[in-house]
Amino acid sequence: MILPLEREDLKVIGYNLRNICYLVAALLFLPIAVAVVCGEFDTVPYFLIGSAIGIILGCILSFSLYTKREMELKHAIVMAALAWLIAPLLASIPIWLANATASYIDASFESISGFTGTGLTLAVDIDHLPHSINFLRHFLQFAGDGIGIIVISLSILGRTEMGSVLAFKGEAKEIGIRPSIVRTSRIIIGIAVTFLVIGTVLFTAAGIREGLDFGTSVFDGLNHSMTAYATGGFSTHSQSLLYYQSIWFEVVAMVLMIMGALNFNLHYAVLGGKRREILKNIEVRLLLFGLVTSGLLISTNLLFANMYPTTEALFRKGVFHAVSAQTTTGFQTVYPFHFMLMWPVFSMVLLSIAMIIGGCANSTSGGIKMVRIGVLLKSLGREIKRALLPRSAVMTGTFHNIDDIPLTDKIVRSAALMAMSYLILFSVGAVITAAYGYSLEDSMFETASALGNVGLSCGITSPSMPAGLKVMYMFLMWAGRLEIIAVLVLFGFVIFGLRKGVRR
Amino acid sequence: MGLRKFSLRAFLKKNFDFITGILSEAGLTVLIMGIAIAICLLLVFIKSVI
Repeated sequence: MILPLEREDLKVIGYNLRNICYLVAALLFLPIAVAVVCGEFDTVPYFLIGSAIGIILGCILSFSLYTKREMELKHAIVMAALAWLIAPLLASIPIWLANATASYIDASFESISGFTGTGLTLAVDIDHLPHSINFLRHFLQFAGDGIGIIVISLSILGRTEMGSVLAFKGEAKEIGIRPSIVRTSRIIIGIAVTFLVIGTVLFTAAGIREGLDFGTSVFDGLNHSMTAYATGGFSTHSQSLLYYQSIWFEVVAMVLMIMGALNFNLHYAVLGGKRREILKNIEVRLLLFGLVTSGLLISTNLLFANMYPTTEALFRKGVFHAVSAQTTTGFQTVYPFHFMLMWPVFSMVLLSIAMIIGGCANSTSGGIKMVRIGVLLKSLGREIKRALLPRSAVMTGTFHNIDDIPLTDKIVRSAALMAMSYLILFSVGAVITAAYGYSLEDSMFETASALGNVGLSCGITSPSMPAGLKVMYMFLMWAGRLEIIAVLVLFGFVIFGLRKGVRR
Repeated sequence: MGLRKFSLRAFLKKNFDFITGILSEAGLTVLIMGIAIAICLLLVFIKSVI
């Protein structure tokens, strides 16, 4: 029986949300440093206003909803769902004040796209945005999706307590690297910063090689490194990586995108000495298979459609977009309208499938996730075997994901439920987009991109798109980042509260 | 002072797992890109033959 909602439930959720408000307020101070270094003093007040609103909201929650009660799983899930709404809304304030977007709804879209690591953008004239605002867009992806806002808040403000473990679950991260959740959070940050440094150095070297000046190389390198590892996909240029026309940039991006799509637990195991894990892990094997298969099929289709006749062009257009879609990053090396008007439907559908499947669980990527696909495939194989074996035969099975994990009915059911709810949401999103007059393949492509937190666009996402579609894509990005379940629990919480009322 | 005490051998020994781990992951990406380039080469070759 579901216990009735109490006023104390709301207090627990609200009180724990205060940390997210303080965190966003603190994060907005980093772009101020960039503004000062770049001499953009006119943008400093925008960040200060955003930060002040975050602190005031945090204080209000802290004083008005103070409670000593510990968080339970339902509170943690609802808190995570709300945190992923409140944080982007706070961070959108400087973007809106700086006129980087045409309206506040566009700024909110940009901020949600940033925090969820999607990369669909409604920013106006990205190439000429102030450096500090551009840095904020990229930093949101690194902090939000590359690390995770709740991870950061736990690492800085959290204690080793049950509520922290539950908050992790609410954010769709089931990480058990270390017994202490604070230590785990710091390891995740350490891994992210390691790849950030490596990526920045490589991108900077690529920029200098292509003739960019040192300052621009470092700035673009840092920003692209943040969004590549976070599998976010924002770029400092409206043409994304196409702007550079550089194979070196694209190769570095591909390396970082693949790194970002790998499981945090796998990084920890491999960097800790378990190197063989990289070959045994079910997710790595499936990711490798997915990348090679989608790369092969898309390249074949593009070649025989006479789109790209050379090996280099096939690699830089076909394989690059296969990697960008599968890792759910969203960097592009073609104009969005090329997808809509020139690319064959078969390649578009393959990219959509890759975006729906996504990368590894507990990584920065979105989608259904490789481990669930692996579990469902293993389960399918087991069912086929069961039909062929005698009725008395006992079927067991395991899959290797850091440890050998038994394939239980509970794991299979959980994977199937997530995949099913994901596909239902995808279908609804694609049909609604198509209802606005777009073709079905374009609608599927853009919906898969928003729901999978990818960011590849065939041109539907633009400041002039219908407001209804903007709101729906914001919802899809939010639901996709939280892996849907948290959103459903939040709705259940609200509906239950409205029907039964809240007890004092 | 600090530099004089620095020993590359000791540094590599201490961070052996981390460095080889990074190289293993880099190896994975090189493998993926190598396979992808080989596929593209093969495809272009097949098309030129057809």
